[in-house]
Amino acid sequence: MNETSTSDQEEQTVIAPQIATEGQLASDVADILIVGAGASGAAVAWRLTQAGFSVVCLEQGRWFNPGFYPTTKQNWEILGRHEWNWDPNKRGNPEDYPVNDSESDITPLMFAAVGGSTIHWTAHTPRFHPSDFRVKTLDGVADDWPLTYDDLDPYYDMNDMMMGCSGINGDPAVPPRSPRPMPPIPLGEDGEHMAAAFDRLGWHWWPSDNYVNSVPYKGRDACNYCGPVGFGCTRKAKSSTDVNYWPEAIRLGAVIKTHARVSEITIGTDGRATGANYLDRAGNIHHQAARSVVMAGNGIGTPRLLLMSKSDAHPDGLLNSSGLVGKNLMFHPYAMTTGFIPDLSETWKGPMGNILMSQEFYETDPRRDFVRGYAYQLNRGSGPLFTALGGAHQPVKWGAGHHEDFAERFGHAITLAGIGEDLPEEHNTVTLDEQLTDSSGLPAPKINYTLSENSHRMMDHSIKSATTVLQEAGATRIMANPLLRGGGWHLMGTARMGDDPERSVVDKWCQAHDADNVFIVDGSVFVTAGAVNPTPTLQAIALRAADYIAHERDDLKG
Amino acid sequence: MPTTDRQLTDVDRVVLTRVMDLIIPSTGDFPGAGGLGLAERLERASMRYGRLRSGLLTVLDAMSLDIASRIEGGFAALDEERQIAAIASVESDLPIQFSEFVELVYETYYTDSRVYEHIGWADRPPQPEGFDLKPWDPTILEKIRNREPFWREVS
Repeated sequence: MNETSTSDQEEQTVIAPQIATEGQLASDVADILIVGAGASGAAVAWRLTQAGFSVVCLEQGRWFNPGFYPTTKQNWEILGRHEWNWDPNKRGNPEDYPVNDSESDITPLMFAAVGGSTIHWTAHTPRFHPSDFRVKTLDGVADDWPLTYDDLDPYYDMNDMMMGCSGINGDPAVPPRSPRPMPPIPLGEDGEHMAAAFDRLGWHWWPSDNYVNSVPYKGRDACNYCGPVGFGCTRKAKSSTDVNYWPEAIRLGAVIKTHARVSEITIGTDGRATGANYLDRAGNIHHQAARSVVMAGNGIGTPRLLLMSKSDAHPDGLLNSSGLVGKNLMFHPYAMTTGFIPDLSETWKGPMGNILMSQEFYETDPRRDFVRGYAYQLNRGSGPLFTALGGAHQPVKWGAGHHEDFAERFGHAITLAGIGEDLPEEHNTVTLDEQLTDSSGLPAPKINYTLSENSHRMMDHSIKSATTVLQEAGATRIMANPLLRGGGWHLMGTARMGDDPERSVVDKWCQAHDADNVFIVDGSVFVTAGAVNPTPTLQAIALRAADYIAHERDDLKG
Repeated sequence: MPTTDRQLTDVDRVVLTRVMDLIIPSTGDFPGAGGLGLAERLERASMRYGRLRSGLLTVLDAMSLDIASRIEGGFAALDEERQIAAIASVESDLPIQFSEFVELVYETYYTDSRVYEHIGWADRPPQPEGFDLKPWDPTILEKIRNREPFWREVS
């Protein structure tokens, strides 16, 4: 029998000894206080320690030892559904905060740890298109960004080198760019089969960019194609910031305080930030003083903390003179279309998340009944339990016909995940829940989110087109889910950037309009969402903001 | 039905085993979920996850109440057709809890070594062995590489 050993929980809490930093002393007043040790906070920490700033990061989670992730366990699928669930409400670790998502069409996913959600992401890392930054000008919707693709291009490159990007140049759907440091992950038999179907239709496809090593890179192993990359990578082949940015930043002097839950950004009489109050594991309150605060707590955690940080100078929450903190929440809606292809028999082999990508329907086409567009990510099948439970679809039927249903799906599934551009709407919000709290008694966030009609039409289109591809590939059965409710991986827009302080929270350098020593560098600052995974873009934005601080804000260095 | 301290009775366990066999029936010579002797393991697994435990107890409660009102001897005394109808009735009346119960049955069955062997799944965790993939073949890009760039330029 394959049951969890009693030591699983203990093993998961082992702190990586070479980089353990809990309890490490920080300078009394840090130059830079970063809230959150995930994708963007790590990038800023590395860049600013390089530039000679003293950096302290407060992280409510802990270090995880990659050697003990679920994929080394016999019962990895059960752990993935419970202790390692992507949904904090289902996972329920004490360092997670719950989210009231009862009035949201999509449930948010996140992970509290050093490395943040890069621990459990699938590391699919395409870039935004130039058009994504100019949707108002091009299509008359939402707003343009105050920066351009070209502004971010060098930072995309820098991030690709630090995180480690596998991929190949020549994609006709995107602008020319510098080479990736590693060749692409092999497509596998299933990927080549699907690529041929796209080719026969004359539709675009290209091998996915992945922050997964196709060859050994910077001391980390190459991927061995085990499959479930979403539960952490024991080989460190999948990039996460606990194994790349943070070790470098710590070597340069950065300090991370783990199990440090920030309850408030503190404000001086001049209305500027003075640091943050935080609670340790025992519930003791501490204050970390700082010359500057960098918010990197994701598109829900950051507005939550800003709304919790009320003061005389900021009565509606910190940085909220525009009233836009917590508004314009964007997810990427996912429509999942799965085909079962008899010619394929082992679609569990290889990274689950991203075989190849199609951007055939990415840009606005006036002949369609929606504006903007979507991309496809090709996902593989999964292990026996996840197959039986249906993944994005109905579970395998119980009773008569059970085994036939299972056999038709297992090893034969390929999913076209349609990821759509979600446009900002002010009624989609993050607020503070009046009853629900985290394990420290702090208010939990409440999400109000309704998918727009434009996005619904876009997702319907993606199902029709995916069905065409899957039929071309020989699928004998196709299942479709027009909106994956549990698909809120990407949290964006809740403290957006702009030139006008009345219509935005931060400027193009991520500096707050209301307090010049507070910066926001996570997905909160996105003006629009694009139709690709946001992490390379938010990390590029974070690195750019760090360079602005390094070059223009010497006053923040003690 | 479950006692007030929420432990299963021997009668519950008999019912559970039979229900598991109807949820995942035998196939050829290979036993169903109940016949594999997985009820005890399911019960233990339910102790670990409160939501699934609640689903198990609620479904067993509903089954007992439903059947007890209809026939002496309860669920076990019904013929197979009526047993299936009784399960379907609980599914209809308590869809969320029934779904949690089925989830628990699947979690127990599809992580069992004998089932792995039966369906052709290697009985080992994904790591450290991983899998092999055919090496990257750049010639597969031949057609798509020749497509004209079609990304949208901005001024």
